[in-house]
Amino acid sequence: MAVRLFSKLKTLPEIRAAYASSAAAAAPVQLSDFDLQHKTPVIRKQQLIPKAHYGGRHAVTMLPGGGIGPECMGYVKDIFKYIGAPVDFEVVDIDPTVDNDEDVQYAITTIKRNGVGLKGNIETKSEAAYVTSRNVALRNELDMYAYVLNCKSFPGVETRHKDIDIVIIRQNTEGEYAMLEHESVRGVIESMKVVTASNSERVARFAFEFAKRNGRKKVTTVHKANIMKLSDGLFLETSRRLAKEYPEIEHNDMIIDNCCMQLVAKPHQFDVMLMTNLYGSIVSNVVCGILGGAGLLSGRNYGDHYAVFEPGTRNTGTAIAGKNIANPIAMINASIDMLEHLGHHFHADLLRTGVNAAINVDRILTPDLGGTATSTEVVDAIKRNISENH
Amino acid sequence: MSLISRNIFRALIQGSQHVGKGVHTSAVNLQENVCHASQSISSLQSSAKEGRIKCTLIPGDGVGPELVYSVQEVFKAANIPVDFESFFFSEVNPTLSAPLEDVVSSIARNKICIKGILATPDFSHTGELQTLNMKLRNALDLYANVVHVKSLPNVKCRHHDVDCIIIREQTEGEYSALEHESVPGVVECLKIITAAKSERIAKFAFDYAVKMGRKKVTAVHKANIMKLGDGLFLRSCEEMAKLYPRIQFEKMIVDNCTMQMVSNPNQFDVMVTPNLYGNIVDNLASGLVGGAGVVAGASYSAECAVFEQGARHIFSGAVGKNIANPTAMLLCSANLLSHVNLHAYSKMIKNAINKVLSDGKVRTKDLGGQSTTKDFTYAIISCLS
Repeated sequence: MAVRLFSKLKTLPEIRAAYASSAAAAAPVQLSDFDLQHKTPVIRKQQLIPKAHYGGRHAVTMLPGGGIGPECMGYVKDIFKYIGAPVDFEVVDIDPTVDNDEDVQYAITTIKRNGVGLKGNIETKSEAAYVTSRNVALRNELDMYAYVLNCKSFPGVETRHKDIDIVIIRQNTEGEYAMLEHESVRGVIESMKVVTASNSERVARFAFEFAKRNGRKKVTTVHKANIMKLSDGLFLETSRRLAKEYPEIEHNDMIIDNCCMQLVAKPHQFDVMLMTNLYGSIVSNVVCGILGGAGLLSGRNYGDHYAVFEPGTRNTGTAIAGKNIANPIAMINASIDMLEHLGHHFHADLLRTGVNAAINVDRILTPDLGGTATSTEVVDAIKRNISENH
Repeated sequence: MSLISRNIFRALIQGSQHVGKGVHTSAVNLQENVCHASQSISSLQSSAKEGRIKCTLIPGDGVGPELVYSVQEVFKAANIPVDFESFFFSEVNPTLSAPLEDVVSSIARNKICIKGILATPDFSHTGELQTLNMKLRNALDLYANVVHVKSLPNVKCRHHDVDCIIIREQTEGEYSALEHESVPGVVECLKIITAAKSERIAKFAFDYAVKMGRKKVTAVHKANIMKLGDGLFLRSCEEMAKLYPRIQFEKMIVDNCTMQMVSNPNQFDVMVTPNLYGNIVDNLASGLVGGAGVVAGASYSAECAVFEQGARHIFSGAVGKNIANPTAMLLCSANLLSHVNLHAYSKMIKNAINKVLSDGKVRTKDLGGQSTTKDFTYAIISCLS
């Protein structure tokens, strides 16, 4: 008895020390990106909304969008339930045929209060001039100025180039997508491309910070400043100026047409790429094509306060909707990005290993990647791999 | 020295508890449970091994330990993959109580806790104004208390089909523990209302309404008298309501609210209240559907969730008599299971409770029966499927 008590006493200080350290750990030592976004000082005057994070669970807006969106979201929900991810989805459906903006405004409000969204591609069926693209409206309204596309090869997918690892960072709110067009004289239409110093600086800083935080070596600015000397010139100049603040990161620039050629010929020379809106759209689709098509990669939209995750290429895939052949990987990858952003690294890792094993080891691929599996078979393979690894 | 003796006592008490548990479980006829949930991985904890999760357990005072014991029996019988980390935590018994820091760090680590009710003495003898409950809430920032008041089958009450959720701010307001006697015979008690915390609780209420698919949120206040304090609370709620155009927002003065609650409780959906009003409305509403023994509640911070009874009574008159109603505690445990994604188990327990209550053969004294706590627990266990 006495011996047992003695041993108990001896271990006591250690237990206490352990408790003390875990008490310090009670406040999250490493803040998740989600927490950081809710801590950053307000850059634009915005109403501060308390974060939707209760009892360890996050509320997230889900916008299924059109085409294959709803079925992919179904798979994501299914898998999240399976791995027990502490996320509650608030689903907002947007009717693509309606001409008014009510649904979109509501969706934007929900993202504002949840802070995070997961979205498919939202269709804008109306071609009336006064109806803006819903996707663009969403990004502008939430001021999500940076778009990040992680392009990393999956060894299990047959492609011309192997081991590609490029990050594309795209200015997301201005440039050619300023949506300022008018017909000055009959038959003459002018479309304005707007480049501002403040937005260029924000996205350039984002790119360099991203490179620094993720241990990247090089940032390439993509532009067409030889033709558009003022607008693209400003963008290029800003990134050159900021590059001086990050001497440890190499910086170079490349003209967009050359860049596309280099990408398909020698993609390994690129590390982090920084570009304006339209070029970003084109280049991300080129890289997605190189890596295996629209169904694999996931993109992230960041603002100062909000983050929205979506499949990397913005195609709705209406033609294959409902046929159970859509590739669910892109949406699942987007959901992994979202889990990382929220700080749920455990669940993100779980899901990532499941996806990697399903694609690279088991090689359960949908027809777009040259396989024969259906969407549900892919999802089942991921689940099976998760339970085997856990 | 006192520390050593305390630890000896604790070791002995815990040891004897374990022995007791073992004996009882072997007496219970364990059922074969086919459960699909075991296939899914569940946890908020990254360290979960083999799908088992840890949960902090605070039995509390009064009948708390008996009720918690009932929960443990049910968990064992259903083979639920939850391990309890038990702490004796009490304000009225400070020598035996575990230190606050230990309990707090355990909850912060496990992120979930199931808790009985802590007794609080009416007068302070040491000059300490904060109760242990308040200290725990403040330490973990458990700002939102949720009580889901729902009519249970076959429980005789004046009203039927009551189904409302009462959300209460519980870290400021009247419970700020700021009181002083400026002149002898004159005591001032400060009620603190801040915009940040009011917005936070209002947002919580609306988000909860969205999550549960509710239609209406009612803010309960007394802004006609306390124009600044409750006025700020009300204004914050109105501000948040603008972000939720698809949820109806209503406001109601607290005195009217209590009257409406007893005469026509079905009109309420989700209610959001400052601290003291919430406490009163919680208890009032619990009384409508069968009393403290049948209503479950939970407190949330950003990171943790503590599940406890909705109406906080320790029922000290029943200690050791084996007559307390474990329904509320079992509902709490079911809510806890669904919070950590063990939905199948949660359903299993809820179904069992519903079945036992609707059969009506086994009822504890508060529901007009003669059965004991143990009888009720075993009835639940035999209904698990």
